[in-house]
Amino acid sequence: MKRKDTVKLISADEMEFVIDKDAAMVSQTIRNMLTSPGGFAETELGEVTFPEISAVILEKICQYFYWALQYSRGKETEFHIEPELTLELMMAANYLHT
Amino acid sequence: MEKESELIRRCIEAACQSKESVEKWRRQRRTLERLPSHLSQSLLRNLLRRRLLFPSLLEVFKYSVEEIDLRGENSVDAEWMAYLSAFRYLRSLNLGDCHRINNSAVWSIVGMTSLKEVDLSRCMKVTDAGVKHLISISTLEKLWISETGVTANGVALLASLKNLSVLDLGGLPVTDSALNSLQALTKLRYLDLWGSKISNQGALVLQRFPKLSFLNLAWTNVTRFPNLSALECLNMSNCTIDSILEGNGDKAPLLKLVCAGATFMNEAEAFLYIKTSSLSLLDVSKSSLSRFGVLADMKMLEHLDLSSGTMGDDSVEMVVCIGANLKNLNLSSTRVSSVGIGILVGHVPKLENLSLSHTAIDDVALSYIGLMPSLKVIDLSNTNIKGFFLQPGTESHVDSTLTALQSLSYLESLNLEHTQVRDPDLHPLLSCKKLSHLSLKCASLTDATLHLLSSLPKLTTLHVRDAVLTTNGLDAFSPPTTLRVLDLMGCWLLTEDAISQFLKKHPQVEIQHEIVQNLSTEHQTLSNRLSTSQQSLKGPQRNKKQGNLPMPECFVDQRLKYNREELLALQFSPLSLQSPHDAGSVIPNV
Repeated sequence: MKRKDTVKLISADEMEFVIDKDAAMVSQTIRNMLTSPGGFAETELGEVTFPEISAVILEKICQYFYWALQYSRGKETEFHIEPELTLELMMAANYLHT
Repeated sequence: MEKESELIRRCIEAACQSKESVEKWRRQRRTLERLPSHLSQSLLRNLLRRRLLFPSLLEVFKYSVEEIDLRGENSVDAEWMAYLSAFRYLRSLNLGDCHRINNSAVWSIVGMTSLKEVDLSRCMKVTDAGVKHLISISTLEKLWISETGVTANGVALLASLKNLSVLDLGGLPVTDSALNSLQALTKLRYLDLWGSKISNQGALVLQRFPKLSFLNLAWTNVTRFPNLSALECLNMSNCTIDSILEGNGDKAPLLKLVCAGATFMNEAEAFLYIKTSSLSLLDVSKSSLSRFGVLADMKMLEHLDLSSGTMGDDSVEMVVCIGANLKNLNLSSTRVSSVGIGILVGHVPKLENLSLSHTAIDDVALSYIGLMPSLKVIDLSNTNIKGFFLQPGTESHVDSTLTALQSLSYLESLNLEHTQVRDPDLHPLLSCKKLSHLSLKCASLTDATLHLLSSLPKLTTLHVRDAVLTTNGLDAFSPPTTLRVLDLMGCWLLTEDAISQFLKKHPQVEIQHEIVQNLSTEHQTLSNRLSTSQQSLKGPQRNKKQGNLPMPECFVDQRLKYNREELLALQFSPLSLQSPHDAGSVIPNV
């Protein structure tokens, strides 16, 4: 039961982030991976590996997922992005369609 | 292009926050090289907008940017161009209105084989020598050099750019022999020659361009030219038209024909060779066209502009024949009266946009307009509309004629400026639920108008000019949540306090009023002064209101900075006289 509600996101440097499925679904790309009927390994295991995304960025991405969820529920807070992360984060966001 | 995602937008915003934030990422070279082009272009655009872009920063984009638009950037000069020349994959470069671009700046892009599109419109310092640099870029497919310093000799040189499909030579002194030498450009689809010195003799060459689909000959002496079998859009504005497209072979599949301000030598003959049945746009505004029989065949017409012409009620029948597909009809400044509008009813089922300003129509026309079911935009300004009928016999009973508009369920925009419509007459508009733009300008409007209109659910732009609005009235006005622009020009009773109070309460609304303009002009003058010390680095601050208006690097003539209304406002403004700095240097003699 518990496994179903969470997903594991694995960064290029093999850091693992376990987050709520709801949050991960903010990304259109992850949503497709987890819900497509084609029987992706990702769908089965609830694990997604991102060989292009570093742990620092993936952590920020996860924070954004939760922030976006809260934002959509009407809680308006700022999401701070450190300028040194902007480029990498932008590319990851582009890949994840988030 | 697909819309940026929310996180990307936030990243770009954070990256362009300040000079310091730029410094934080600009050394990440490997990442910058891998950046997808749409992201780096978006980043570049935002840096430009925030005035954070300078020549040496351009370097970080050299492997990722494919398109760059620097239109109207006064700071762009040879140094910028030197950096741009290193852009490995640059495909499109727009330097329109960059006034510091000269021939040596153009020299920088010599040999950039990735370039396909270059726009140098209105770079006045670019001359024939610049063209010599340009022709080394044999890959060029689209070139805009209108209103530059290029002469007929320079134009002739372009013949070697065999891949050109779009060529804009507007405002250049192109001669017959120069056009003649361009015959080799057989791929041309788009050719702009407005204001050139082409004659009827030179126009014969146009037949050598088999793919030509767009041709602009406005403001030339061309009165006749032969058939062009691929022509779709033709502009002959302000020309004298004798006979066009005469000849054998397939008739040109013309879709758009613009003859604004044209003189027809022989009306019957002018349209004789045109395949009028496919035409979707016809603009004969300000032209001498007087017999409208030619319209009869234009069954596909969607846009028809007859404004400032000779159209009268007697010719409206002709519009009726072709009304089936008509979406836009401009009859402003014509002799059409309410009777003519009555004739149109029932024959224009798709009409969305109707302009009748400066005509003699009165309230009777409103009842006819109410029967045109698809109308979205109606301009009734400067007409005899009163807004009410006096019922004969019962002097006191007054009916609003605007009631007729209630049946228009798609109505989005209504202009009633310079009509005699008063507060109570506006009541019926409340049932126009889609109305988003409303313009009123009349000295008999009062606070009651504002109060009434506050219940229009979709209103975004409201003009209530020259009205007797009071401070209390504005204070009591609770605008619809959708309202963004409130134009109160000429409402002379309003005070500065009242307006700033309102703005504080409703920050989402932009107010336009003489007082606000003075305030913002004042603000600009100050900020311009403050930034003069940094101008050599950042370039002058551009006034957003002026849009793409070209501005020189340093203001020789202060009048260039302001439009006429602003100047007049400045001149009479007590504020500018009281301002702490020397107002005399800002206020020119008008």
